[in-house]
Amino acid sequence: MPDRFTNDWTNLVREHLHPLRLPASQQQEVIAELAAHLEDLYDQQIQHGLSESEARERVINEVIQWRPLAQDIQRSKFKEGTMNQGRMNARTKQLWLPGLVSLLAAMLSLTAVLLLGVQPHIYYAHQAATTFNFQWLAALPLCGAVAAWLSRRAGGGLLTCLASSLFPVMAFLACFCIIFLGATILGSERALGPSAFVLFMWNWVFLPGTPLLLGALPFLFRRNQSPQVTS
Amino acid sequence: MTKRIRSKIARGSAELAILALLADQPLYGFEISKQIEEKTGGALCFTLASLYPMLYDLEKRGWIAGRWEANQAGRDRRYYCLTPAGKKELAPLRREWNVFFHALDCLAGVSNA
Repeated sequence: MPDRFTNDWTNLVREHLHPLRLPASQQQEVIAELAAHLEDLYDQQIQHGLSESEARERVINEVIQWRPLAQDIQRSKFKEGTMNQGRMNARTKQLWLPGLVSLLAAMLSLTAVLLLGVQPHIYYAHQAATTFNFQWLAALPLCGAVAAWLSRRAGGGLLTCLASSLFPVMAFLACFCIIFLGATILGSERALGPSAFVLFMWNWVFLPGTPLLLGALPFLFRRNQSPQVTS
Repeated sequence: MTKRIRSKIARGSAELAILALLADQPLYGFEISKQIEEKTGGALCFTLASLYPMLYDLEKRGWIAGRWEANQAGRDRRYYCLTPAGKKELAPLRREWNVFFHALDCLAGVSNA
């Protein structure tokens, strides 16, 4: 570990590199390394004839967006199972926790809608019936948005963010698969034929999945910092 | 899609540049960015934000290893060196890029541009 460098740069990096969720020792090491880089850059600018204030300004402008940098570093540094004991690992924070929050919020909103006595609209088409619960569907973009925001905040990538926001429909699908499998094994497959599967997919996967996805959309895409190639 | 391809090319070329530099000697972050800029005549530039996530990623993959040492000025810096796994990775990476540039040359006459 470094024993000397300008504290000024260390403080600057520490203040700006947030949130950096890494074990304390790794965090200190990253801060020290970035501070050392800024210190060298500052010295270089001074050698090039810039005044102290100009050099300082140039160094401060080296990183425009600290938050994406912190997230990129966190993603690059992270190794499964190396986080501090007692702390959640990145997968939990980026996928499971936001996903469960989304599922819980979706189920609570459905329960609330039913408790308020709102009846679902039932439509019949081609000998099949399908239901729409508009009030519930209207609440789902918020659930998707919260999950996507939590996932992004924890440094989750595009797919993780998407999976966490669509977690409720994946849970519904998993439940249905278990029921379908159970019914098949028990010999009551007539009750859960192809039409039941299509209806289920429409009612519990496609319909709720769309508003969940719509809510998550603003959080799915984030600027990546890749090396600049100039010509 | 074009942006993604460009980003992947930039990332791949940057990885090759870092690994190739470290194959010669251990360097710390600032030296790596400075040498890449100098050796490419400013065509490839690394900012702090683009360099360190990549270094940490390469370190995580086990291709490079970092250790704190004092530089010539007596300041502690984190020097990176190529690991045996990184050396093993560098040769096929060089071949891949050679094939890629050759293909581009055949297709678009890149070397005559």
